[in-house]
Amino acid sequence: MKILWESMPYLLRGMWITIKLAVVSEVCILILGLLLSLVRISRVRVFRFLAAVYIDVIRGIPLILQIVIIYFGLGHLGLNLDRFTAGVLALTVCYAAYEAEIFRSGIESIDKGQMEAARSLGMGYMKSMRYIILPQAVRRVIPPLSNEFIALLKDTALVSVIALAEVFQRGRELMGTLASVTPLVGVAICYLMLTIPLMRLVQYIEKRMARGD
Amino acid sequence: MKTEEAMIRTVNLVKKFGHHEVLRGINFEVQPSEVVVIVGPSGSGKSTLLRCINGLEHATGGHVYVEGIDITDHDTDINLVRQKLGMVFQNFNLFPHLTALGNVTLAPVKVKDMKQKDADRRGIELLDKVGLKEKADSYPAHLSGGQQQRVAIARAFAMDPDVMLFDEVTSALDPELVKEVLDTMKDLVREGMTMIVVTHEMGFAKEMGDRMVFMDEGEIVEEGKPVDVFTNPRSPRTREFFSKILSHN
Repeated sequence: MKILWESMPYLLRGMWITIKLAVVSEVCILILGLLLSLVRISRVRVFRFLAAVYIDVIRGIPLILQIVIIYFGLGHLGLNLDRFTAGVLALTVCYAAYEAEIFRSGIESIDKGQMEAARSLGMGYMKSMRYIILPQAVRRVIPPLSNEFIALLKDTALVSVIALAEVFQRGRELMGTLASVTPLVGVAICYLMLTIPLMRLVQYIEKRMARGD
Repeated sequence: MKTEEAMIRTVNLVKKFGHHEVLRGINFEVQPSEVVVIVGPSGSGKSTLLRCINGLEHATGGHVYVEGIDITDHDTDINLVRQKLGMVFQNFNLFPHLTALGNVTLAPVKVKDMKQKDADRRGIELLDKVGLKEKADSYPAHLSGGQQQRVAIARAFAMDPDVMLFDEVTSALDPELVKEVLDTMKDLVREGMTMIVVTHEMGFAKEMGDRMVFMDEGEIVEEGKPVDVFTNPRSPRTREFFSKILSHN
């Protein structure tokens, strides 16, 4: 108990890095994921194909491997990213592929009469997407995207593989120096403090949306 | 644009879905201020004809001219042409995330760069015209089918179209809501609006139509004054269609 108590300040500073990592990544993921989904449903066959290849390749490789490849691989090519940036980049590259598919399913779930009505009013494809399709699609995918965010938050632990001092990495360090597993209990508590409220929030949103508002 | 040009003209218009030929060389014209009613059994191609006129379906062959502009030409800016064509759909297709007023003002603001304030003022006027001024701030989900369809008419009309296209706009409505929508359409006819109306409402067709076109199996079988086509059809196919409708009513 004493070890746990004494580990917490160090771990909490790591948790702050974890939060920053997750939030910064999520912003990049949402932007890249949305763009990717639009390319994925583009009317230009080559674009559609390239996006599909990207999505399949990325989803077919373990995230931990992508993190290592991006950090050390780019380093080899002379592009030395700091660990945080490399972490954000790897998480973005990976999660954008998953979230692109979520955005796509959301867009495709909108009745095609919506696009027809928008086009018949003289709005171009991009304007119709922006003002009619996306506002409805985004609302619809908020619950699955929130679940993805929770998964992302936990997956930030994988960035410890490049020794970024986020909460899990710090827990492992303490485990070594104190010769005790207790700090890892502290790490678990840190994650739960974030994930449990988030899971509740998602449930609340889902319930509200099921009620239809 | 030539002044004598018909408002809408199709020349040998062909539309195929796969191997199925839905329109088999349609030659069709609509003059300014004319109200043309298209009737026919389901699957006869009447909705497809309407959708080819505003480019929601691409013609497989032939030409479609809107005020002299060939919309089957790849260089034609279809978005500009569509501003001249207001379309009202069977399933309303209102934008559920916008209020009634938002539905009516979006296109004028985003397409015609109208100021939101001006668009709102005009939007309220149009909603008033269809009898829904007090519903301006309601979302589509809180409107009846008839009210939604009237908002949809106001929305199409807000772009100041030269022609209004109605695609079975009362078919999805409960019977008691049909009249309010037809009344709104009659107001438009009285204002001299050019209209193409695909419908099963024979009462409306006879009363308001300048011309009735009967389609079957992708062809125009017969056309003429609604009363003539209706009471004295020349073609056996037309006769069969109307006798079925009458026995049904």
